[in-house]
Amino acid sequence: MIEVFLEWRFLTIAPCDAAEPWQLGSQDAATPIMQGIIDLHHDIFFFLILIFVFVSRMLVRALWHFHEQKNPIPQRIVHGTTIEIIRTIFPSIIPMFIAIPSFALLYSMDEVVVDPAITIKAIGHQWYRSYEYSDYNSSDEQSLTFDSYTIPEDDPELGQSRLLEVDNRVVVPAKTHLRMIVTPADVPHSWAVPSSGVKCDAVPGRSNQTSILVQREGVYYGQCSEIRGTNHAFTIVVEAVPLKDYGSRVSNQFILQTN
Amino acid sequence: MAAHKIAHATLKGPNVVKEICIGLALGLFAGSLWKMHHWNEQRKTRTFYDMLEKGEISVVVEE
Repeated sequence: MIEVFLEWRFLTIAPCDAAEPWQLGSQDAATPIMQGIIDLHHDIFFFLILIFVFVSRMLVRALWHFHEQKNPIPQRIVHGTTIEIIRTIFPSIIPMFIAIPSFALLYSMDEVVVDPAITIKAIGHQWYRSYEYSDYNSSDEQSLTFDSYTIPEDDPELGQSRLLEVDNRVVVPAKTHLRMIVTPADVPHSWAVPSSGVKCDAVPGRSNQTSILVQREGVYYGQCSEIRGTNHAFTIVVEAVPLKDYGSRVSNQFILQTN
Repeated sequence: MAAHKIAHATLKGPNVVKEICIGLALGLFAGSLWKMHHWNEQRKTRTFYDMLEKGEISVVVEE
């Protein structure tokens, strides 16, 4: 019964990998990194609940016992060495328990995949994105490039999410190590996809790199996370397809773009 | 009047150690409820990916 209540109260599973109205928690994880982030949040939340309940209990009991009408003459306690030692040491142990999984996740997020299968360059513009697939051309050929514009508010088809859909999605293969190189063409941007646990800043004059491994096929939505002018919140849509379909999907996309 | 005040001053207050222990117990109980929810979610996620791996379920719509 308690479990049912807790599930109702904390139910945060989003049926699609995009933000839901009144959503309380994270979107479902699509990568091991995002799963690690969610697990770390749950670990820290345990301590948060412990401290909150303990402190609330102490506060309520103090207010109850030392009410001015029941206890008009307060005790004059100056200090208590034992309790002071306990209340210093015990809270300092809690951050140690938080730090261990936190640093483990932090360093695993920073690990760069040595030999990713695919490298995709995401270039931020005001106010659209362009993506380059450079793995399929020799050095003197031009990379496969396409632009990705957010579908305007008055233009979506039935079933599409408002201000979240784009005309050309980034197609990536699922269960494959990818490298994303993020850079801007003009002002600072940020390539963020919450369900993948990715937020990579695009800093002018610099290319930032992040590794992604999408664990399941699906369509993942994100938004630019660095304010960059009027039409700032242009969106990112990553479509993870089965590896066997990846080649045909990407080539179809470039054919459509060329036409 | 003085006797009344003295009598009131000798009233026993709450036991600090007992209150701390009860507070910790309640905190741990609430925390363990959260942990149970977390483990349940982890189990559901693991089951989902296991079934996906085995091909029992699919997230790709068949053409």
